[in-house]
Amino acid sequence: MRLVKLSVLVSVLFVLIGFNTNAQDGNTILKKLDEVMYSPKDMTAKTKIILIDKAGKQKSREALTKQKGTDKRLFRFTAPASQAGIATLSLPNDVMYLYMPAFGKERRISSSVKSQKFAGTDFSYEDMEAKLFVNKYTAKLLKTEGNLLVVELKPKSPKSSYSKIIVKLDKVNYYPTYMEFYDKGGNKIKTATYKFEKIGKYWNAKEITMVDLKKNHKTIMQMSDVKYDTGLTDDDFTVRKLKQ
Amino acid sequence: MNKIADLIVKLKWPIIVVVVALTIFFGLQLKNIHINSDVISSLPDNDPIAKLYKDIGEKYGGNDMGMIVLETDDIFKTEVFEHIKQITDSLKVTKGILTVSSLTDIIDIKTSEFGLEIGKLVDEYDLPDTQAELDSLKQYIYSKDMYKGSIISEDGTATLIMFTMLDEADKQAVAAIVKNKVEQMNLPEKVYYGGLPMMMNDVSDLIMADIIWLLPVVFLLIALILYLSFRSKRGVIFPLLTALIAVVWTLGLMQISGYELTMISNNIPIILLAVGSAYSIHVLNRINQTYDKDRKQALIKALAYIFIPVVLAAVTTAIGFVSFVFGAYLTMIRDFGIFTSIGTVFALLLSLFFIPAVISAFSMYKKNTDEKQHDNEEQSNFISKNILKPLVNLLFKHPKYTLTAWSLLILLSIGGMFLIKTSVNMQEYFKKDNPTRVSEDIMQKKFGGSQPVFVVFKGDVQSPEFLNIMIKTEDYMEESPNISTTQSVADLVEEMNNAMGEGKHIPDTKEKIEQLWFLLDGQDIMPQLVTYELDEAIIQSKFVSTDTKAMEEFIDYMNKFIDENSTENCQIQLTGMPSVYVRMNESLLSSQASSLIIAILFVLIIVGLILKSFSKGVYATIPIIATIAVLFGFMGFAGISLDIATVLVASIALGIGIDYSIHVITHFNHALKETGNLNKSLEDTIMISGKAIIINVVSVAAGFLVLLFSQMVPLQNFGLLVALSMIGSGLGALTLLPVILILANRRKKITVK
Repeated sequence: MRLVKLSVLVSVLFVLIGFNTNAQDGNTILKKLDEVMYSPKDMTAKTKIILIDKAGKQKSREALTKQKGTDKRLFRFTAPASQAGIATLSLPNDVMYLYMPAFGKERRISSSVKSQKFAGTDFSYEDMEAKLFVNKYTAKLLKTEGNLLVVELKPKSPKSSYSKIIVKLDKVNYYPTYMEFYDKGGNKIKTATYKFEKIGKYWNAKEITMVDLKKNHKTIMQMSDVKYDTGLTDDDFTVRKLKQ
Repeated sequence: MNKIADLIVKLKWPIIVVVVALTIFFGLQLKNIHINSDVISSLPDNDPIAKLYKDIGEKYGGNDMGMIVLETDDIFKTEVFEHIKQITDSLKVTKGILTVSSLTDIIDIKTSEFGLEIGKLVDEYDLPDTQAELDSLKQYIYSKDMYKGSIISEDGTATLIMFTMLDEADKQAVAAIVKNKVEQMNLPEKVYYGGLPMMMNDVSDLIMADIIWLLPVVFLLIALILYLSFRSKRGVIFPLLTALIAVVWTLGLMQISGYELTMISNNIPIILLAVGSAYSIHVLNRINQTYDKDRKQALIKALAYIFIPVVLAAVTTAIGFVSFVFGAYLTMIRDFGIFTSIGTVFALLLSLFFIPAVISAFSMYKKNTDEKQHDNEEQSNFISKNILKPLVNLLFKHPKYTLTAWSLLILLSIGGMFLIKTSVNMQEYFKKDNPTRVSEDIMQKKFGGSQPVFVVFKGDVQSPEFLNIMIKTEDYMEESPNISTTQSVADLVEEMNNAMGEGKHIPDTKEKIEQLWFLLDGQDIMPQLVTYELDEAIIQSKFVSTDTKAMEEFIDYMNKFIDENSTENCQIQLTGMPSVYVRMNESLLSSQASSLIIAILFVLIIVGLILKSFSKGVYATIPIIATIAVLFGFMGFAGISLDIATVLVASIALGIGIDYSIHVITHFNHALKETGNLNKSLEDTIMISGKAIIINVVSVAAGFLVLLFSQMVPLQNFGLLVALSMIGSGLGALTLLPVILILANRRKKITVK
């Protein structure tokens, strides 16, 4: 009798521990990922966005970027000439301000459509959303592949346009190298490839390539002249600043 | 002639081997034959308007758009929204589908004094479920022009779910999957499918249905007629075998030369069975009737006699088919003409070379016992006794009455000709209960039609001048009673300008427009309205009416505007289904005239040459021209329109029908030379050739009448009219022609005296 009880206890414990370890793993990894992605207090950089359509035709845009924390971001476009001076300011709660110099005024744009593309790129508002990974997804470690961890992310919100995202991260430094996005029918619809480099004490995504597999359309986002923790304040992210 | 016949018998084995080898070769191609159900691809490239229409469809992805219509008594019910969402979600994850828009998945942009609010019209995760929510949604939707009549019908009983497909997707396969998925949902609402990919899927089914159902019917029917006429196995087997081999060769050749089966050419097998079996009937008949102690000699004699008449019959028929090449508007009609005429030549070659070779190689001669029965058979023959004998009596007694009767009939028919209408609307080509036609009807009733109209603008798309002309054009178009809505990139620019707080108009500087483009770039709708290079943009619209007259008026109306407003910086062109239909309509009449004139001339020349007399050539063509007059009269009185298929009837009738007159004249000449007796010669001609003609009329007419069961309305009419023409030209050859011969010869006698 005692033997049986003991064995039940042991197996329950085992199951509990086993379960816990697994969940812990996923969560820990997400937290580490968030640390890599969002630990700088602020950042300024030059961003180049290259759009490549299926025929291989390219269009490119350049912008100066400022970011503070996870949820304030300012883009000021410098090229092409026709769109130079256009600026966007993203604030928390899906609010964005757009400034167009030719009109000399700004407009508030609020969007609740997450699948909407961000300014003609292959990034959707959902992809650009600067929310902590732990808040957006539940994670499960699938396997390790050499130096990489393969993690499956499932969106917590039913409104997400994805059913899951498979992420490959560096085992040591926890920056992502590759992501696959799946639609609700389980079809792989987008992939993102990341190139990271260390600048000071932070890891920087110097190039992200997002491919829309359906449209065979590609967006490459490159970052240069990156500076961290220069002491940006909330004042740098106001509508007044947007217009300057 | 004897030499050729001799050669055929000598080379019997090589002939058989070649035929078998070719049949295996072509037969192997058949499994690769493609069905092309894309009606649009049949529009001719040499017509700039049709070419532009095809190009626009490809360039702006309009040809890849599918539509699903849900119809019920009231769309504004939670349950209906759930069903719309169910379909939308299912389509969104279907492979090959790029975008889906429906009531539960459409972007709604609200402009306020502060800016833009981008959201979904209906929150797909929180569908309206109270009456109050439904009512306010309804009110909102009907307050906006962009939804009313485009995604939901004005009466609120039907809604559209639209989807676009990937370029590289197999459009028909995706259409079939979509249909299957939706059907499995078993929704209580009525569901219809529209758009080119869905229509192609239907047409494809219909092409297969015609082949699967009609071909065996025609086959059995002709077998039955052959059996009743010849009462022997080989009388059935040989004609059917030649026709079948001709079908295999023709379809195999189509495949090799890169042609596809269309909703017209899928009937080539049926027509070849009806037409192609005739030549071997003649050859067999002659072999049966030629007696010689030496069977081989009999065969050669028979062949030598029949060679020219059969070649003549086939060549004239082939000319009838090939004459479409000069006038047909749709390429599928032209291809149909070419390959049917090639098939006719194949059938001819097989009856002249293959049939005698097989008979002589396998010694399949008719048994001698038949010879004794020969005369009895002929005497007791039903056709001779009940039809031909009384006919001969009538003709000799009252030649002038016969002539008067025909004259009256022709006069009446000429009256009927003025009642002939044309029909180019492809909708009317489908039967009333055909799903494609039903969907088109619904689209027309609920959503302002489904016939695309495009206005193409070339120039600098981002210049204010260019966009203002587009807006002006749209306003002008919408004044036409047949245009309900228009859509263009200029509308979007106005919308964005309004969002910037500037009001709903085109900005006055190019700079502003270029900056507004920041909001438009990358939107799914953009590739449907403007080119990547920004050097061309289109207005998309739909035309309500299916009336050709209304289309003509609209095109005149638009051309007037284009003449006044097209400039070097903004070149305007109009295309679309109404434009194409008007061109098709014009081409119907001209192609009818040109193909008929070409066919008559060719036939006249060939018959004249063969009969070595121009006047005899004219005599031979009189019955068939009379028949064609009656045919047009019948079309007028019976309300059968001239359409893509019926426009072919006259030339085909000429090609096949002339054979009967040729038979009568050659036989009569032979007999007159032998006996010198006019009446006796004519009686002989009618009694002997008449029988063959009647058998041929019945078998060809029966073959074509099977087309009455075709899925395509033009082919139904085509079958009926060709059958009628066969009867008419047979009758003409046996009544009108003899009377002309009697009267002509009497006059000759008088002048000689």
